[in-house]
Amino acid sequence: MFILIKREIEDHLAYFVGAIFLSAMIIAILISAFYYSEAAGNEPVFFFLSIPAIVVLTIGFSSMGASQMYTDRNRKISTFLSSLPVTRCQILTARIITGVLAILVVLVPLTVAGTILWRLFAPPIPIFPGLIFDLSVVTFLMGFACYCLGLQTGWTTSRITPSLGGIILTCVFVPLIMIKGFGPQIKIILLLFIIASLIRTWQKFKHTAL
Amino acid sequence: MSENVVEVQNLAKYFDGRCVLDGINLKVPRGCIYGLLGRNASGKTTTIRILLGHERPTRGRTFLLGTDSTNLSAKIHGRIGYVAEGHNLIQNYRVGRLVKLCKNLSLHWNDKFFNHLMETFRLPMDRRVKDLSMGMRAQLNLSLAMAIDPELLILDDPTLGMDTVVRRQFLELAIDVIQKQGRTILFCSHILSDVERIADRIGIFAAGKLVVDCPLEELKTRVRKLRVIFAEAIPQNLYLPEVVNLQSQGREMIITAVNWNQQKQAILETYKPASCSELPMSLEDIFIECTKPISIPIQVEKWEM
Amino acid sequence: MQLRIDNASDRPVYQQIIDQVKRDIALGRLAKEDKLPTVRELARQIAINPNTIGKAYRQLEQEGIIVTKPGAGAFVASLDSNLNRSVRKKLISEELERVAVDAFHMQIDGQTLLELFNNAIEKFNFPSIKG
Repeated sequence: MFILIKREIEDHLAYFVGAIFLSAMIIAILISAFYYSEAAGNEPVFFFLSIPAIVVLTIGFSSMGASQMYTDRNRKISTFLSSLPVTRCQILTARIITGVLAILVVLVPLTVAGTILWRLFAPPIPIFPGLIFDLSVVTFLMGFACYCLGLQTGWTTSRITPSLGGIILTCVFVPLIMIKGFGPQIKIILLLFIIASLIRTWQKFKHTAL
Repeated sequence: MSENVVEVQNLAKYFDGRCVLDGINLKVPRGCIYGLLGRNASGKTTTIRILLGHERPTRGRTFLLGTDSTNLSAKIHGRIGYVAEGHNLIQNYRVGRLVKLCKNLSLHWNDKFFNHLMETFRLPMDRRVKDLSMGMRAQLNLSLAMAIDPELLILDDPTLGMDTVVRRQFLELAIDVIQKQGRTILFCSHILSDVERIADRIGIFAAGKLVVDCPLEELKTRVRKLRVIFAEAIPQNLYLPEVVNLQSQGREMIITAVNWNQQKQAILETYKPASCSELPMSLEDIFIECTKPISIPIQVEKWEM
Repeated sequence: MQLRIDNASDRPVYQQIIDQVKRDIALGRLAKEDKLPTVRELARQIAINPNTIGKAYRQLEQEGIIVTKPGAGAFVASLDSNLNRSVRKKLISEELERVAVDAFHMQIDGQTLLELFNNAIEKFNFPSIKG
């Protein structure tokens, strides 16, 4: 399993590098945003900056999922791996783990940096410890949902369409989050979506002709 | 052990409504070297892909090493060496990286043997797979398949692209594998001379059916081509069972029949031919006759070693 | 022992091996008690399935042409001259049949052919070797 994961990472190294770069860039922008708009009310700036960030991240996650499946089919990687003592289940699991790792590479530093900055610069709104947790979990689930969508569609279509699917997903879920908040309901909805998407992906992958 | 390493039961496969395999029954016992012959697109590769679980059958079941093909575990895959038609290697990788991947994922890797093969074939480790010639890719594929010391070797046109010298090396390798006890080989080839050299048993595919399935040495005795000349015209009501091909010209008739025996000879005699002589048939001749549209199956049920 | 497998032949491979071993012995290329290559050696040498070679060797042994001594290998048997002679006679009669067919096509009648044949025998001062 470890070998399979290593192989996936090596094949998609660009995404990991991009993830680190993106993460660093967003943190840098956040830091400068906080420094330079301390006096003039953070929220609007923060809000306006988060939209492009969200778009880039969602496209990034779903395109990674799509790219993993697309390169597999294109380069016949699973076809080759099936001649080795490796099951399709293992291949897909390794793929998903790699995707999760990439998402974490982006989100973990962001969450940590965001928390620190918020603590340093935030207006005197009491922060529930739970809020950080909820926020990060929902963000992770959102990112993972986009990734799963990319994974599901990437086998049959080109790379571009699934990535755009991520935007549609965001447009659906962000208003939902705004209405419902970051509570357990949104988490369940996202989890259900993720599970359905993964099951569909697994079914397709298991039965496809290699 | 006398179990069947490969078993195919009533296999049928349709692609978009087109019938590619029509009721295939096949058994390959342990230790057998089975040569699959057939014209292009006759169903050989499809059968192999279904056996390995790469495709699902429309009807029927297939078994490899006692396990249903739709349910093959990683362990079973580890006991099988497979060389696919067109060579399923990851084209973008460098040879060295591909080898390392195989080495790390295989259950059983004979490093010494593999290095010996790489030296014999003189394959470069640092070149990308897509930059190798077809023959070199064939050699690489074969080396990877053999390095795991497989119980069962499935080879789909393994010598495609190989030059004469390398093909001979491959044959010698195959002989080495055969000499090891209990190894089974199932291979497809268009090079009949190679098949004749190493196969124990032959199967010939034609139009989705297995028209021949018998020990190689028996094949030549079972298929006969006779030149029959009649004193006057050819009798109108001439009927002989299991005739694969019949050509008549004037007073002469050329009959290709299978499972020829005394009985059929006696039947022929009743038509009082002026002369009846046998024309020699090589494996190639037999193959061409058997893959013509009208074919009678040549089946030998019992396997005798 | 030089064996050649003819893929265009109508005889099965194992039969070709048997034929060639018999021919070699009959023509004196293999002498009594000469050691034959082992199945493994021969398989590698001519790239033929060892099972096929094994079958040929078994049949040769059945016909009494070779003997296998356990641990030592296969050897040409001490043949009685009758067996040898019958093989040789068969080979020659096959050759003669071919000549007869050629003569027919060249429109040379039986009488003329016999004359030509006698001339050949005289020319070569045919020795009367027995066996």
